[in-house]
Order: sequence, then structure tokens, then C-alpha cells
Amino acid sequence: MSIQYKTIKELASMLKGNDISNKELVEETYSLVKSNTHLNAFITLNEDAAIKKAEDLDKNPSYLSLSGIPIAQKDLFCTKDLRTTCGSNMLSNFIPPYSATVIENLENAGCISIGKTNMDEFAMGSSNETSFFGNVLNPWGDDLVPGGSSGGSAAAVAAGIVPAATGTDTGGSIRQPASLCGITGLKPTYGRISRWGMIAFASSLDQAGPMARTAEDCAIMLNEMCSHDLKDTTSLDEEIPDFTSDLSTSIKGLKIGIVKEFDLSQLDNDVVKVFEESKKHYESLGAEFVEISLPNISLSVPTYYVVAPAECSSNLSRFDGVKFGKRCDDPKNLEDLYIRTRSEGFGDEVKRRILIGSYVLSAGFYDAYYKKAQQVRRLIKNDFDNAFEKVDVIMSPTTRGAAFSAGSKGDDPIQMYLEDLFTIPANLAGLPALSIPNGMVDNKPIGLQLIGNFLQESKLLQVAHNFQISTDWHLKKPTEEIN
Amino acid sequence: MSWETVIGLEIHVQLSTESKLFSGGSTGFGAEPNTHVDLIDMGLPGVLPVANRDAFYKAIRFGLATNAEINQTSSFDRKNYFYPDLPKGYQITQMAIPIVGKGSIKILVEGAEKIINITRAHLEEDAGKSIHDLFEGETGVDLNRAGTPLLEIVSEPEISNAKEAVAYFKAVKQLVTFLDICDGIMAQGSMRCDVNVSMKKTEDKELGTRAEIKNLNSFKFIEKAINFETERQIRIIESGESVVQETRLYDSIKNETRSMRSKEEANDYRYFPCPDLLPVVITDEELNEIKENLPELPEQKERRYISEANLEESEAKIISSSKTMANMFEEACLKTDDSKLVANWLVGDISALLNKDNIDIDESKLTSNNFGTLIERISDKTISGKIAKSVLEEVWESGNNVDDIIEDKGLVQIQDESLLESIASKIIEDNPGQVNAYKGGKDKLFGFFVGQVMKETQGKANPQSVNEILKKLLD
Amino acid sequence: MDKKTVTNIAYLSRLSLNEGNEDKITKDLENIIKFVDQLDTANVDDIDPLTSPLEKTAKTRSDKATAQNRKDVFLERSPKSNEDYFLVPRVVE
Repeated sequence: MSIQYKTIKELASMLKGNDISNKELVEETYSLVKSNTHLNAFITLNEDAAIKKAEDLDKNPSYLSLSGIPIAQKDLFCTKDLRTTCGSNMLSNFIPPYSATVIENLENAGCISIGKTNMDEFAMGSSNETSFFGNVLNPWGDDLVPGGSSGGSAAAVAAGIVPAATGTDTGGSIRQPASLCGITGLKPTYGRISRWGMIAFASSLDQAGPMARTAEDCAIMLNEMCSHDLKDTTSLDEEIPDFTSDLSTSIKGLKIGIVKEFDLSQLDNDVVKVFEESKKHYESLGAEFVEISLPNISLSVPTYYVVAPAECSSNLSRFDGVKFGKRCDDPKNLEDLYIRTRSEGFGDEVKRRILIGSYVLSAGFYDAYYKKAQQVRRLIKNDFDNAFEKVDVIMSPTTRGAAFSAGSKGDDPIQMYLEDLFTIPANLAGLPALSIPNGMVDNKPIGLQLIGNFLQESKLLQVAHNFQISTDWHLKKPTEEIN
Repeated sequence: MSWETVIGLEIHVQLSTESKLFSGGSTGFGAEPNTHVDLIDMGLPGVLPVANRDAFYKAIRFGLATNAEINQTSSFDRKNYFYPDLPKGYQITQMAIPIVGKGSIKILVEGAEKIINITRAHLEEDAGKSIHDLFEGETGVDLNRAGTPLLEIVSEPEISNAKEAVAYFKAVKQLVTFLDICDGIMAQGSMRCDVNVSMKKTEDKELGTRAEIKNLNSFKFIEKAINFETERQIRIIESGESVVQETRLYDSIKNETRSMRSKEEANDYRYFPCPDLLPVVITDEELNEIKENLPELPEQKERRYISEANLEESEAKIISSSKTMANMFEEACLKTDDSKLVANWLVGDISALLNKDNIDIDESKLTSNNFGTLIERISDKTISGKIAKSVLEEVWESGNNVDDIIEDKGLVQIQDESLLESIASKIIEDNPGQVNAYKGGKDKLFGFFVGQVMKETQGKANPQSVNEILKKLLD
Repeated sequence: MDKKTVTNIAYLSRLSLNEGNEDKITKDLENIIKFVDQLDTANVDDIDPLTSPLEKTAKTRSDKATAQNRKDVFLERSPKSNEDYFLVPRVVE
């Protein structure tokens, strides 16, 4: 029985029913990896350890929620003794001596980490075109980008190689690739998932999350990924519910907010059509639509492009060729060591963001840029707080369109930045948000975004699940749709 | 036209916590390089800091003792720059809201008291060490010290000369040792300071351009560096040029300050709030508990020694001026009822030895334990006061154990009255001439007999017993 | 954005500018800054800057030295080191 495109639930059932052994499942997974190398979704594979874990499970079965399930891990999470690169030349030889909390949580729940997925360098990008290890291809079309920065994870799930993968989302890096690859991806409330071991890009925005074929699978993953971690002071100490328990509850009477300021007329007709269809569908499920105003939302992208680069310019200073990672050859002196190591180790987008970050924090510009952006950020958060007094969730398209071709955003970084128009606000406010496939445009999948209030992942998953049990967009597969 | 020197000191005090400010790495001194380094101290990708609450408590003690504002909610900022022993490429410090705000401290300069105001005292992490002279063409980096909690104490620019600067530094050292927040061992780098110096003419309203002299860690160097820098700046201004605002290092061999080679533009630290650390709140309960358990300060000890231990003011002042000496006094007083005896030794022989060697008590080889034993052996008459002096000198040089020295050198006092009596009798027998002279009225000859008994017993006879026995035999 | 500013920022970031990339980088930076200048339109009087989306304060740790000696683990991962130290080209102060 082919395991391609199976969900966590389906694979768990197969394992339990002895339709397949743990070892066979892992071996077949690696077959799928190897027959899809053109996607370039993986940077490092963990074959020996994975097969060993599977063999151990066959000998001593355990029935944890993810026992034996093959999961792909974004190469931004430190994995002990397994190379972790962040898609960068700077860390192309880095072997962490410890594992991220989220990796430990998932592995303690029985999953088998089969490898590290490709990503935009240091999580900066929306198309997986900035990785030192080459572009990732979208399974829906070889010339198409999968989105970014979690492009490798999205492609691996979309191609049915693994049922689920971990991603990270700072400005949309889980939701946007989920939309472009036709899968489901969730960014939880900031602080739900520990950032210990997650290589930092923008500390006040970064959050890990699951990427899978269904909302239900995302809920299963989320249950294991969330924890209160004393090693991360930004980790929430709130009760973690069972995210799978209320998925099928009816959403009759649900109030869904539509953002007045998101001018959808700017989008392609086909994209708007898909969105309107989804609205109608939700109405048929009993939901009510309410127009809400987020007056400062149009400043989200500029705010993000001050805050994120500022934080990253500082977070990436540790990459200096002194204690770990790459170092340039034959440095003449300390300055040469720093400048050449960093100039050779980082790609162009990373350098741009570091430079912008240094600029907006520098003397004379701090108040005008960084402080101002932090103030606008509070305005945006306040807008959401007000909106959630009127509605339960907020809905929008996840992206402006479907997957675009590699190289098509040209030389202007700002064109790429505008890809994250709809996703960035949730990061700024620290709110949970997800993307589910809700239609096709030009034979390419596209996604619907739901944003929830603080700690409301269960509600979001419920709203998503209700959609998925009454539609089949999430069931579409690239091999069937592409002629 | 008179010159005024304007000096401000930034003193970095290593807090005596067991672990680092943001990690569980050990802060112990003297370990092999890179053995006290935690994942967090390394600044490895993905690690996160968690603040050490005890560091806050220690900082608050300083704030309370200097009557300062305590910011019960304080936060952390990042100071960004590149240096090999700064693992993350930034230092976590408190720029916007320090734990301790404005306070003041009293200093004593050549008998006169002056109040120096303190602008703030904040927590920050120390960097590692760069070792430049060990490896040919290379600098070695040891991160043991990286992450150690520092309290940076910033004074107002109210210090007027080198002597005041030293007095201020000494006052801070005394305070932090008595508060038990720092061991004060400057040789181990527990306290270091940066000095800002600028010159102005008395009639000028504005301050002059200042230069910063970094990393001074002895009283002597602070004084010399300031004196050199003052002269240097006067020379520059008088020749019509301007003092450059820059960082300088003091070269103790050449006795001069020189400019550090880093570029000026490099000093834009781009401070911003550290997003990994949320603000820390100290509750009212915690604050009260710290207040109630504040260790005794020098003035309080001084008063107590005068009232309870019957010391003279001058004795009490000397003993209470150093935490180490105060501890020695208090611990030795547990071994004897005679507090005066203890005080005499500290103020007399020991102070003399300290002066001779020009060191502080905590730099000597005399431990509190050993001193206590010495006092005990005098009190229980194992050795006489005179013998004790030679024992002390031996301890001072070698650091050896008092009891070992007494045993090895056979210094135990002879107390056996019958033995002493027989020795005294023999001396009297052997010196009939002197006996007659003494009985004839030459009282001073008593000393001769005492001397002979001492000689016979190699100085170990109990002097009081000798006196009594001789008196009995001769009179 | 003048050349001096760009050179300064590049140095602060320890990144090199050369004939090959200087112009493009300057242009990119100018465009991005122009883009974020939109923030000027916001009225932020009396608004507190937001550093973290969490309205909470930090948990702290108790003062215990829990870390173990991992010198070998760290030194073996460094680009250049000897038995005891990380090594960099000689720094002159």
C-alpha cells in the first residue's frame, strides 16, 4: 500500500493494524525522498538513525500519539549531532550539541525525524530562492516556487513524502508556503511553542508550527509541539488544551471578520472568486460575516521590515567565524576575519536585512524608525484587540495569488516583501493564524487564512476542520492535477 | 586661570553569585580555560537567556545601602559590537531601566568627608577573556568569564582629583564586600573601573571633552592614570588643540595613557530592548526581605565593637574598615573572652605587617582560621605573647598552620611550675653574686634572673609563672 | 543615502562593500528605507513601544551552577582552536 499522501491519522492506523511495519514505513519514506530529489526539499537526511528508531519500535512497540510517524524537520531547529544549516553557507558545517525543545517534544511523542528540510537562508524569504543549498521546487510545477521560508517542509508534505513537517513563521513563513503548496499550516500564539533551539531570526516574531495535509493532523502535531519551557522566558505558562478534542463541533453562529482595509480589488479576479466561494461555503455552515476595521493594518509590512531586520541584525552577530560555523580562509587580522567570514557566509537577502537592521537601530535613526515601528506595532495589536470584541476569527486570503515562477519577483526586494501582506499582521500582534487550501487558480492551489485571538488555536482548528470535512480542496494532489 | 579636573568613574563589580547572570555556568575563579562555559555562554544558535534572580537581590542590596531608587520592574537591552570574547556579538545590559537608580555614597579623603552621587547601578553580563601574549600571532579566547554578572556603578562627574577617585573606589569596594555581594579581590578582576576625565577652566560653564581610560584594577594605577591624563589634556588644550573624545588604555610600564586602536565609528552600540528577556519584577515582599537581611555595614560594626566589645574608637574604626578584618575579629572573639587581646593583635602586630608589605588583609597569607587558632593558643596559654609574635611572622611568610608551627618548633610554653621552680632555683644557686646584689637593693637585677630563666627555657617559660616563682624564691 | 552612511553601516555589520555590490546595495537600502518611511503617517503620540507581544513579565532562575564542563564539545566545533582556547588572529589593542 502506498504511503504517499497519507495523513498522520491514516499512517497511525496502518501501523497499529500491522498493515505496515515501522521499518517499512521509514524505508518507503526514504524511497519517496529519493524519487523526488528534484524538489530539493531536503538538505540533510537522517537515514541510519531513523531506520534504527523504526527497528526499535518494531521490537518494542509504543503507542504514543506520533509513534513511528515520519516527520520532516525544518533546518532551523537544532538537532543534536545532526547537521543544522538554516539554509546558509555560514552553518553548512554546523553540528549542534543539543536539540531544540520542539524537536525533543516531537521525538518523545514517538515521531521519527527523517531529515532536515531546505529553507530560505536564516528564514528570510518568501520563495525558498535564497537558500545556499539551492531553490526548492513546488510539487505543483517545476518552475514554481513553493513559498518560503519553510519551502522545503511545504514541498515535502505537498508531494506526499511525509504526512507532516515542522516549519517556522516570522512574517508568514508557514502560512504562505502552505497556501502556495496546497497544504495546511498553522502558526500558534507567540509563546505557545518554545523557541529554545530554534535559530533566531526575529525573536519577538518567530514561532514554530506544524505543516500537514489536514487541520486535524496539525492539531495532533500541535498537541506535542506546545510546552511551557523554563529555558525560554517568552514561553507561555498557560494551560495547553487537547487541540483535537473540539474539531468537529459545529460553527453555527460563528462570527467571522472581514478586514475593511484589505483591498481585495487589487487582487486577480480568480483569486477574489476563490475567496468569495469560501465565504459562501462558511455561510452555508452557519457562520456570519462581520466587517471589521484594522485602521493601521496598511502599515504592517513597513513595521515588519523595520522590526524584523533590527532584531535579526543583532541575532546574526554571533556568526563571526570565531566559535562555530564557517570561517574565511587565512584571515589577515580580526577585522578581515569578521568581514570576509560574514560576507562569504551570508547571502544577499540576509545581508540586506542585516544592513537595514543596523541602520534603523543606529544613533540618530532609532527614534524615527525602530521606536516608531514598535509604537505602530502596538497600534496594530490594539486594532486586533478591538476587532476580536466583535468577531471570533478573522478571514482573508493567505497570499495575493498562487505560486509564482522562480525569479519572477525580479531584483526588487520590496516586491517579495509584499507577498507577506496578509500574513505579517498576525506575527506583529502575536496572534495564532493558519492557512488551509481553499481553491485553485490556473491549476495551482491557493489558501485561505484564519486569524484567531490570543490562545485560540482550538477555535481556529475547529473552523478549519469544519471546512475540510465539507470540501475537498485539501485532498487534491499535484500528481492528479498536473497533466 | 585655574584648571578643574572633572572625573567620573564607572566601576564594574563582579557579583558573587554561584552561577552566571543568564545561564547555569559556574562563576568560580581560576578554572581551566573554557570549562565553565554553558551552551548559553557560548552564544550557540538557538540558545536563550534566563535571568538569575540572586543577581537582582545583590544589586538591590547595593541600592539600599546607597539610599538609591530601586526600580522594581527593570528590563534588559542589547549593546551591539564585535569582539572575540563577546560570543553573541552583543552584551545584554540594562540601558533604559536599570535595577538601581540615583543614590549616593560618602567618601573620606585625607580626613574630609565628601558625598559622591551615583547616577545608576545596573546589571550586565561580563565578556570572556582574550589572551594576546600566549600564542604566536594569535589571540586565545577563554569564555569562562562570559556571562558572569556585573553590577556597573556609574558615578556623577563629581570627583575632582586622583585622590578622591581612589577614595571613592575604596568606599565602593568596602561597601560591596560588607554587603556580601562581591569578594573585592581586585587581583582576580572582581572589581575594575573605567575613568572618564575631562578638564575645564573654573570660569567655564560647560564641561570639556572627556577621554575614557578603561580597565583600571588597582588603586595605584587609578591614581597614576588620572594624573597622567590630567597633564596630557592640559598640555593639549594649552597648545591650542582639542582633546579627542576617545577610549584610552593605561600603560603601567610607561606610565602613560594611549589611544585604543578601534575606530570611532565602531562605537555606535545600537542599543535596543532585548526581545528574549521580558521585564523582571521584584515584589514588595522580596524587597522587604532584602531590607531586613541587609548585612552589617562598617559604621554599624564600628558602633557595635565600641559598645559590646569595649574597643576604643580608633581600634574599632580600623577593624571595621575591612570586611576580612572584621570577620577575623568576630571569629576570633568566639575563641576567647578577651576581645581586647584580639583587637590588639589586629591593630598592632598585624597592621604593622600589612603596612610593611603594603598589602590589604585579604592579600595576606593569614587566614581567619589560623588567626583564630593563634588567639586561642595565647588565651589557653599554650604559647606566650612573645612566642606568638614569632609564630605570627612564620605564618605571615609561609601561610602554614599555627598548631603545626608550634609543634614543629617545639614552642609550647612551659607551664610546669615545679620544673620552672627547679630551673629558677638552679639559676639562683649559680649566681650568688647577683642574688646578693638584688637583695641588697638593686631591683633592676630581677630582670637578669627572668632573662636567665628564659634563656634556659629558650623563651618558652610562661613569663607570669616565672615572675611569680622568682619573686617567691628571691623574696 | 550617502556613501559615508552606507560604508558606516556596512562596517558596523562587518559586511564588505566593494565595487561589485556597493551600488546595488545602496539602491536597495534606499528603496527599503523609502518604503518604511510610510511609518511617518502614523500618529503615535503617547503610545508605548511594543517590544514583545506578551503582556507578561519574566520568570527567573535560582542561583545554581548546573552546567557541566563541555570544553571539548565546544572546541571541536570551532573553526580554529587548540586544546584550551578558541583562536583568532592576534588582536592588538
